Formats: sequence, structure tokens, C-alpha cells
Amino acid sequence: MKTVVIVEDDLDIQSLIATIFSMDPRFSVVGLTDSAEDAIVVAQAKGPEVIVLDDRLAGTLTGIEAVPLLKKVAPKAKIILFTAHPDVRARVVNRPDIDALLLKTETGELLPLAQQLTNMLSLL
Amino acid sequence: MTSVEAAVRQDGDATDGNDRTDEADQAAADYAKAILNILEDVGEEQNRQKDSQRAMLNILEDLDAQKTALESTQRALLNMLDDLDLERKKVDKSNSDLREVNEVMRSFIATAAHDLRSPLASMVGFSTLLATNWATLNDEMRLKFVTTIDRQTHKLTGLVNDLLTLSSIEGGVLNTRPEHVDLAEAISQCLASSNVDTADVSVSCSPDLFARVDPTHLGRILENYLQNAFKYGKPPIQVEATQAGDMVQIRVVDHGAGVPAEFETKLFGKFARADLPSTRGQKGTGLGLSIVRGLAEANGGQAQYMPNVPNGSCFVVLLPTDEG
Repeated sequence: MKTVVIVEDDLDIQSLIATIFSMDPRFSVVGLTDSAEDAIVVAQAKGPEVIVLDDRLAGTLTGIEAVPLLKKVAPKAKIILFTAHPDVRARVVNRPDIDALLLKTETGELLPLAQQLTNMLSLL
Repeated sequence: MTSVEAAVRQDGDATDGNDRTDEADQAAADYAKAILNILEDVGEEQNRQKDSQRAMLNILEDLDAQKTALESTQRALLNMLDDLDLERKKVDKSNSDLREVNEVMRSFIATAAHDLRSPLASMVGFSTLLATNWATLNDEMRLKFVTTIDRQTHKLTGLVNDLLTLSSIEGGVLNTRPEHVDLAEAISQCLASSNVDTADVSVSCSPDLFARVDPTHLGRILENYLQNAFKYGKPPIQVEATQAGDMVQIRVVDHGAGVPAEFETKLFGKFARADLPSTRGQKGTGLGLSIVRGLAEANGGQAQYMPNVPNGSCFVVLLPTDEG
């Protein structure tokens, strides 16, 4: 079972991401937060394999700012930056700690991407 | 022999008769003529000197006039340089203003695009889930997804309407139909149609208070003030309508943290939202107060903010009284 933490301040989008992961029983959503500060606490406690992370969040830290802190507390986590802003791509070019970037309008790609990052596709 | 020598010789030889006398006379005449010639020459020389002097004076006068003309030209050039400097400063200011407007527009478009994209992302996501997993979803899940799509559709519609209203206000093409409006009734209707908890709202309004305003616009102003009071302030909320000179004044007062002084001037701007614990995580376009101000002004009124002492906010709208 691959564990997932969702960090998203829009509750509908948060629910959407959780529903998408519920389509694959090999994933289990173990944390839902709306701020990076809470996400660090949850990630440390749960040690997830996947973190789906928005950039603009409810707290003071942005998602991009929180990535090194999340990697520190959950080093095995694959981080998917999930944003509504296409221009964020230019800001994360030299950020190997961000494993993937996906636009919020491309939700259909989320599950295959998470499966690929956690090496699930080779098991199918 | 000179005429003088001839005259001397004539004097010394008087005995030579009449011829000698004639010669002497001739010599004297010649002598006198020579003196006259000399005198004429001296006079001419004096005249030439006077002419030269006059010419010199004229030249000096010309030089003085040229100097004055040059000074005048120099002054004109200096004035032109001052004017050019002034114009340059005006152009610099215009460029700076344009850069600022461009930055505001860029920020406006970026925020509007983000706010439009968020509900769209939900709608696309849930509709894709429905379309691709219809057979495996139970009724409860389907209903949940459709309800979310419906909610986000309304959110998107609200945002688009806000943008269109703001565009009409700023383009000066807002359709305004002022009517005779009973304020007590308008406030009561607004509360009845609003989704706020009316138990936390107290209203004070005399029954004979009337405004000349587009009722739809007034409803939108009141709704916005009420929503803001609940979102960013704290109950109890008071709605007070009073006469203020030849205007009517409606105040919506809350008891929250109030607006930071440094943010007050930006409050009625587009996408204005202070970064505060009370505003973080709150959803909304940030266009509400900008629209309120536009609607108030389109109806001949004003929208204002004042702190509610000792704590909270007081949002005010002033509208023309209608006695008729």
C-alpha cells in the first residue's frame, strides 16, 4: 500500500484528489491538510510515499518553499507539485527535489503519474 | 620762389613801379588763398573725424542692440530648456504611471486567471471522474461529484459576473435604474435572501428613510458588506441606516480585528485582500469592495470604510435621499 498526503487549501480540489487516489486500491490517503506547516507535521508522522502539494496554501509557507522541509521529514516521499499556475514550471526547473509538476486542469494525469513515480506501472 | 619770398622781394623793391605792386597783391592773394585752402582742409578733416565718431557710435549702438538681442535669445533658450525639462519630467511621470497601470493589469489578469482556473479544475476533474468511472461509481458518489460541479459552476458564474460588472463600471457603461427605495424594506429583503446567520445581525432603520438608488445595486452592496462582516469580522453585526444631510447613510458594523491602517487605502481596490490570519484561507474574488464602490458612485453615492472603535470594522454607503 502506497500512502499519500494531500496538501491543498481548496476543499473541493482536495476531495477530488482523494477521490482520484481512491480509484486505485493500492493507494491510501493518510493525510489531508490545507497548509504546508500542517503538512510537515503530518508527513513526519506518516512518512508517505507520495505528497501531492499545491503552491498557494492557507499558511505562510508556499508549497515550493516547503519542499525541502517535507523531503527532510519524509525522505522517501515523491513530491508532485499540483498547481493552477503554468508559470510555476519556470520556477522549479532546477529543483530536483520536486519529482513532478502537474497542472490542476490535468487531473486525469495524476493517478498514472503517481503510479509511475512509485514504480507501480512496472508491476501492472 | 614761394609767394612769401615774392612778397618780400616786392617790399624791398618798391621802386620797381606798378608791376611790382601787382605782383605783391597777387602774392598776398595767393597767400590768403593758401591759408583758406589750409582752413578748408582742416574743416574737412574735422568733418571726417566727426563722421568717424558718429560711425563709431553707431557701431557701438549696434553692438549694444546685438548684445541685448543675444541676451534675449539666451533667456528664451533657457526658458525653452526649462520647458523641455518640465516636459521630460511629465513624460517620465506618464511612463512611470503607465508602468504602474501595466503592473496592476498584469497582476489583475494573473489573479483573475487563477480564480477562474480553480473552479474549472474542479469541474474538469469531477466531470472526468464521472465520465470515466460512471459504471463503478455508486449514486452517492455521483451525487457528490455533480453537487461539486454545480457549486463550482455557480462560483465560476459569480466570478465572471463580477468581472463583467467591474468592466461595465470601469468602462462607464453600467446600466443604472434608480428608483424610490424604502431602506428598511431593502435591508430586510437582503437579510432574508442572504445565507448569513441573521440571528447575529441587528438592524436599526427608521421606517421613513428612502433612497434614490437602483435596488439591484443596493442589494448587491448590502450583501457584499454583510458577507464581508461574517467572513473577515466577528458578530454581532449591526446594520444601521440614518439620515446624513441630503444623503442616507447605511453602516454595516462588525466586531472583528478590523482592517490594518496600512491596508485601508487599498481596501476598495481590485483583488484587495490584506494578508491576515482572518483572511488566509478565505475564498473570494477580492473584487467585491471594488464593485461596491463602483455601484455606489454610479448611483450618485459613496462607499467608505472607518474603523469601529474599539474593535472591528464599519463599512459605509452613502446614497442620495429620495423624499418623493
